[in-house]
Amino acid sequence: MNTFVAIGDTVVDELRAILGDEGVLIGKAARYNRTRVPAPFPVHRWAEYVPDLVVLPRTAEQVSEVVKLANRERIPVVPRAGGTGLNDGALPLKRGIVVDIKRMNQIKEVDLVDRTVTVGPGINMLKLNEELRKHNVMFPDDPASYPCSLVGGRIGTSGWSLIGGRYGHTRDLVISFQIVLPTGEIIEVGDGGGRKIRKSSSGFQLKHLFMGHQGTLGIVTEATLELVPRPEMEFAAFFHYPSYTAAWESTGALAKSGLASLGGVVLFDEYKLRYLRRDDEAYIPRPDHVRAVVATALYGTRDEVEPAARRIMRIGRESGGTYLGDEISSGDWASRHDRYATPLHGRLDTGEVVPMSWHCEDASINYSQLPAVMEKWHAITARYAEKTGILDDWGMFAYTNGAYKPWGDYLTEIDIGIWEQKLSDDNWPDWVACKREIAQVALDHGGSITACHGATREGDAELIPVEMGGGFDVMLKIKAALDPNNIMNPGKYELDRAYGLDEKVFR
Amino acid sequence: MIGFRLSAQKPPEARRITDDVIQRFEHIYEVDPAKMTIIEQQDMPAWDTMRIVDSRWEHLAWMHDHWADAVLTAEDLGEGGPHPDG
Ligand SMILES: Cc1cc2nc3c(=O)[nH]c(=O)nc-3n(C[C@H](O)[C@H](O)[C@H](O)COP(=O)(O)OP(=O)(O)OC[C@H]3O[C@@H](n4cnc5c(N)ncnc54)[C@H](O)[C@@H]3O)c2cc1C
Repeated sequence: MNTFVAIGDTVVDELRAILGDEGVLIGKAARYNRTRVPAPFPVHRWAEYVPDLVVLPRTAEQVSEVVKLANRERIPVVPRAGGTGLNDGALPLKRGIVVDIKRMNQIKEVDLVDRTVTVGPGINMLKLNEELRKHNVMFPDDPASYPCSLVGGRIGTSGWSLIGGRYGHTRDLVISFQIVLPTGEIIEVGDGGGRKIRKSSSGFQLKHLFMGHQGTLGIVTEATLELVPRPEMEFAAFFHYPSYTAAWESTGALAKSGLASLGGVVLFDEYKLRYLRRDDEAYIPRPDHVRAVVATALYGTRDEVEPAARRIMRIGRESGGTYLGDEISSGDWASRHDRYATPLHGRLDTGEVVPMSWHCEDASINYSQLPAVMEKWHAITARYAEKTGILDDWGMFAYTNGAYKPWGDYLTEIDIGIWEQKLSDDNWPDWVACKREIAQVALDHGGSITACHGATREGDAELIPVEMGGGFDVMLKIKAALDPNNIMNPGKYELDRAYGLDEKVFR
Repeated sequence: MIGFRLSAQKPPEARRITDDVIQRFEHIYEVDPAKMTIIEQQDMPAWDTMRIVDSRWEHLAWMHDHWADAVLTAEDLGEGGPHPDG
């Protein structure tokens, strides 16, 4: 059932008949460039994960035809959107066909009466919002990859938004969508039925089943999204603190303010400040007593934001914070929408600079557990940095995670620089073990091992059955029922177990 | 740029900020070149550094304008100023 066949000429001819010659890419550059994503990757084994070919569909019908063909021929299919995912979701572990959805980037309908916009999954939020601005509305899904991730990838990962405290996250902002199932049928899913209905009690809540599955259950081909009024005003305030504990307490006070315009509260720890002081421009001149920073951002009408901003200033100061000034507050906040600017170098323990790529390990952690998790994650990273000599701890942040009620749990990330050129079969297992220990700490503290990136890859994936418990068996049954031949992004999330396979993701 | 101006080419002398960081231009911090032997620091003309810095400010201004009609600051509220408290 899972013996995949290499792609023969007749299949390529059939694909060309479906997509036209320019819709099928077989060149080396097209395939190698769609092998990895920014998540750390065993670069020494790059050649093993190169897809056999890439298709660039324009319509749902074309996607459906491609999937039917792949299902018939038992060829793996991997959807790829912006390719910015931080956990290998779009990496073709078993090669096969990469379905690159970038050409499905049309705005199909703007409905200013029922407040929705319907788009192809290949559109990027920044580009979409440039169009929506003409109507004084916006689609406020705002990851730190805002200029380069696409709506299809946001649904594929069930993304987290910087301003989700005010507007909600991807799952709250996508009202319904169309998806091609692994056997090729095209269906519409929402809360219930009704393309523009936000709340329904009909049937199962299928929107949530097909949100965040990392392309293992189908390919989204159209989405109907929420429109909100374009904000009249933005306000950001950054405070500094003499200790992590003081900043953590202040974070709690700010997050519980109950202000509806509060987009989010972020807590940066001492390691993050140390990293910024040595390798980034933002905080270097700050004196030593600046040990932690908390950032907040508000969006809304002028009438909401002005009084809320006064209250944020008051809570920030009363809870022990010192205001970092307008220049850093508004300047640094604006840079948060696009974190590709992260410096791509790190340090060896000698202080020597080497090229490093950025990995961030994420989890959802309750507020009460943040200090303990922070200590354990840094200890694990330090141990593996010493052992491998290719890792550098770039610090942590904790960011309010709830939609509309941003106080109970936090997207918690540790940023780790990795000297990828030095990866080898000897040290890759150490890296995987480091990830696994980090994920285990999240579970030990009652959290979830990922808030937004997903956990498809080795190091995380084997803990998904632990986190999900009996729910994992349900996942296996759903996968086997919807994808009888395991063609849709095989090898991810330990879902191969649904077919009696228990393969390691990376050999 | 018209003609050759040395000041547009040659970056000013570096000032040490911390053990790891030096500074040649206001607000621009650089990794200490002494720590860059495995990967060597590139020589950049002063005008090119300024071009990159200016485009960053443009980028931030663009982002503000993209996200909201107006940016409120603590100074506008009479609650602080451009620079840190204390
Ligand atoms: C600098 C940077 C900052 C980031 N900040 C954030 C952040 O703040 N919040 C956050 O949530 N994430 C963040 N990320 C991670 C990443 O941007 C998100 O996971 C994003 O949702 C991925 O979108 P993409 O378009 O790049 O998708 P891809 O990486 O191409 O794909 C992601 C997953 O979705 C699947 N997929 C793609 N298209 C479809 C489709 N049409 N149908 C079904 N499945 C599909 C893929 O198979 C894959 O499993 C960041 C990444 C970077 C590089």
